[in-house]
Amino acid sequence: MRSFSDYNPIAVTVWFFSVTGIAMFSSYPLIMLMSLLGGAAFFILRSGLSRGKEHLFFWGLFLILALANPLISHNGKTVLFVMDHNPVTLEAALYGLNSAAMIVGVLYWFRSFTQIMTSEKLLYITGALSPKLSLILSMALRFVPLFSRQSAKINSAQKAMGLYKDDNIIDDIKGKSRGFSILVTWALENGIITADSMEARGFGTHRRTQLRRFGFRAADIALLAASLVLLGIAAAAAGSGSLDFSFYPTISAEAPDKLGKAGLIAYGALIMLPIIIETEVSLRWKFLRSGI
Amino acid sequence: MEILAVRDLTFTYPKCSSPAVKNVSFSLERGEFAVLCGATGSGKSTLLRMLKRELTPVGDMSGIIAFCGAPLAELDYMTAASAIGFVMQDPEQQTVTDKVWHELAFGLENLGTPPDEISRRIAEMASYFGIGEWYDKDVSELSGGQKQLLNLASVLVMQPQLLILDEPTAQLDPIASADFIATLKRLCSDFSITIVIAEHRLEEVVPLCDRLLVMEKGALIADAPPRDVIAKLKERKDILCGMPAAARLYAELGGSGLCPLTVREGRSFIENSFGNTTRGLPQASCSHSGEAALEFKNVYFRYERNDRDILSGLNLKIYCGELFCILGGNGSGKTTALSAAAGLLKAYSGSIKIFGKKLKEYRNRSLYRECLAMLPQDVQTVFLKSTVREELDECGADITELPYDISHLMDKHPYDLSGGEQQLISLAKVLAAKPKLLLLDEPTKGLDASAKLNIISILRSLRDREITVVTVTHDVEFAAAFADRCAMFFAGSIVGIGAPNEFFAGNSFYTTAVSRMTRGCFDNAVTLEDAVKLCSLNGRKER
Repeated sequence: MRSFSDYNPIAVTVWFFSVTGIAMFSSYPLIMLMSLLGGAAFFILRSGLSRGKEHLFFWGLFLILALANPLISHNGKTVLFVMDHNPVTLEAALYGLNSAAMIVGVLYWFRSFTQIMTSEKLLYITGALSPKLSLILSMALRFVPLFSRQSAKINSAQKAMGLYKDDNIIDDIKGKSRGFSILVTWALENGIITADSMEARGFGTHRRTQLRRFGFRAADIALLAASLVLLGIAAAAAGSGSLDFSFYPTISAEAPDKLGKAGLIAYGALIMLPIIIETEVSLRWKFLRSGI
Repeated sequence: MEILAVRDLTFTYPKCSSPAVKNVSFSLERGEFAVLCGATGSGKSTLLRMLKRELTPVGDMSGIIAFCGAPLAELDYMTAASAIGFVMQDPEQQTVTDKVWHELAFGLENLGTPPDEISRRIAEMASYFGIGEWYDKDVSELSGGQKQLLNLASVLVMQPQLLILDEPTAQLDPIASADFIATLKRLCSDFSITIVIAEHRLEEVVPLCDRLLVMEKGALIADAPPRDVIAKLKERKDILCGMPAAARLYAELGGSGLCPLTVREGRSFIENSFGNTTRGLPQASCSHSGEAALEFKNVYFRYERNDRDILSGLNLKIYCGELFCILGGNGSGKTTALSAAAGLLKAYSGSIKIFGKKLKEYRNRSLYRECLAMLPQDVQTVFLKSTVREELDECGADITELPYDISHLMDKHPYDLSGGEQQLISLAKVLAAKPKLLLLDEPTKGLDASAKLNIISILRSLRDREITVVTVTHDVEFAAAFADRCAMFFAGSIVGIGAPNEFFAGNSFYTTAVSRMTRGCFDNAVTLEDAVKLCSLNGRKER
């Protein structure tokens, strides 16, 4: 009984890149629509309705992108109206909507992806490629916040000792730059101790192994296989030209053939995968809980 | 079985004329708990680093170091890394990775242990140390004591036979360090791990150890059970100044018989050897000028809107010319109060006045000009330059005006100095701004006993210059030795306040070792000097 985010990170990552990959390389409006709605729905499903600011940002961006295209691009045959001697066309407006849907959809997906991919999962994935790379990443993840904390400490220490003489920007910049230079020295000093500590614990004596905190279970394999199969169908449809769609000079698209239809269904199924998993989990949990 | 044998070890750093370690010989049996003590710069760290091959410094070495009968240099890499564990001083800097579980796994991953074996061993270790709860946390979320425990645990997963610790509790508060030492003792008796630990806070560790090694100028001058060492070095006050209070009392009074080490033993030593017809010393009444240097009135502070209050209704008045000391446990809000007074944090309610003027009326950073200065806990954050001279020139410090001498340190890099010296330089830096109110956050952190005495005498000379000093500390003995008034901080406000004698005599648990030893026998004896005076006034009991 695991929710989608608890599945093996490799399976989850493959699924994410399948969804976003198809969305980025195809320009078929229905795919864009599915990706945008799916991305927004998935984000809401995971974080609830509380993230008002983020939604506002995404839809604001959507509006800007959708409006920018017809104002800049004047391709297309159907002129809606003329603004400042420039024609604004229907085709450019639709193209703007389509690409805005693509970008905002992918942004939604990645927002959810960064929530799910905690540093640990990232380490697991890089560790599968190379344990050393994973160690470097882990050390970097420790160093960056350590740096900013130390820098804040140095600044307040210097402030309370009267380093800043005046309340103006130039003095602030001078003070901050002095603080930064000692921060580098501090990091190097710090690095020596960390290196000693690594060596004392046998770093470099042997080929590194890595502790794995995520296993591959049957459900993970099923998710991985399903993602790959659905990706294969959707990619074949998009790649073979069955899902071509052109906006300029006039909108022209043939009704999708069999492969195209299969591709659309496959993409829809791909997007539905986590929602199916979550629903299944919550239903099963309800049933099980009634037996407790 | 002999785990470690060192014979005629001499070591000289490159370009140094005199050796850092001179003709040192000693050996350790399995399961022995040995404490290595000595003044800063006596060669303790060098000696310990020579016992761990990966950390051996570069230089000329002669003599033999044998681990389990084989020379250290001939051990294979795996054994050298895993069988000898080393824990360093700074809890933060010796951690490598960002997560607790990864830190625990780090050593085993290096040795190429199979993943399943790693999982089992770290689960075992996490259960033994009770760190299961913070297993998934970021290392940065842990407290100093927890970090140091993690460092110990991540060395122990490699199953060492010899554990070397170089001042592991120097950066910890007293409660965390007592915990840490107790854990070491448990390891020693439960698993017969051999332990060598260098320390200068000896109050807790000396009563627990089997052997006390004393170093002076690179040579080993004593190597015996602690009671014998103290009896032998009775006359050497400079070496004894870090020892447990009972042992120092014994040495000061020229006691005979078995040397007491713990509070319990010290108490029976006093009761059996001295009378108590004179119960107390005349108390100097605590007088202060009526003018307040720093005043908190109903101050409330929290870091985040939805957090709890860190300062809740703090009321406190500190008078001009006072040496004031704020004591309290971890997370009680002491440091926060100090930062709020220094204008680094803004209270959401209440007022803070510095010399009768509200904090927000000090515009354009005039607060920090000849008025107030604060020295943070981490002295390394004070330094900006590559030599002490540049450091002091920058802020216009005049070293001839200081109440102490630092002229011999002028051309060194501030990071190369010992903790005590760093503290002196940062004080010099802060005094250059000619503050009238000085705020110190844990000035004795990581210092050895003689450096602490030095700080105490400096603080007293600052009082003569009419500088008001507010110190935040965990160190009860230090507070008792210098403060005019002490206050206990708890849950965001002050719960007890008074001159050290009455303050510590009124506390039963949060008080000095001498006070605990003499309770009920003498009145208001708080420092060692008090106890020594009272004992000599009363005289020895006739047998």
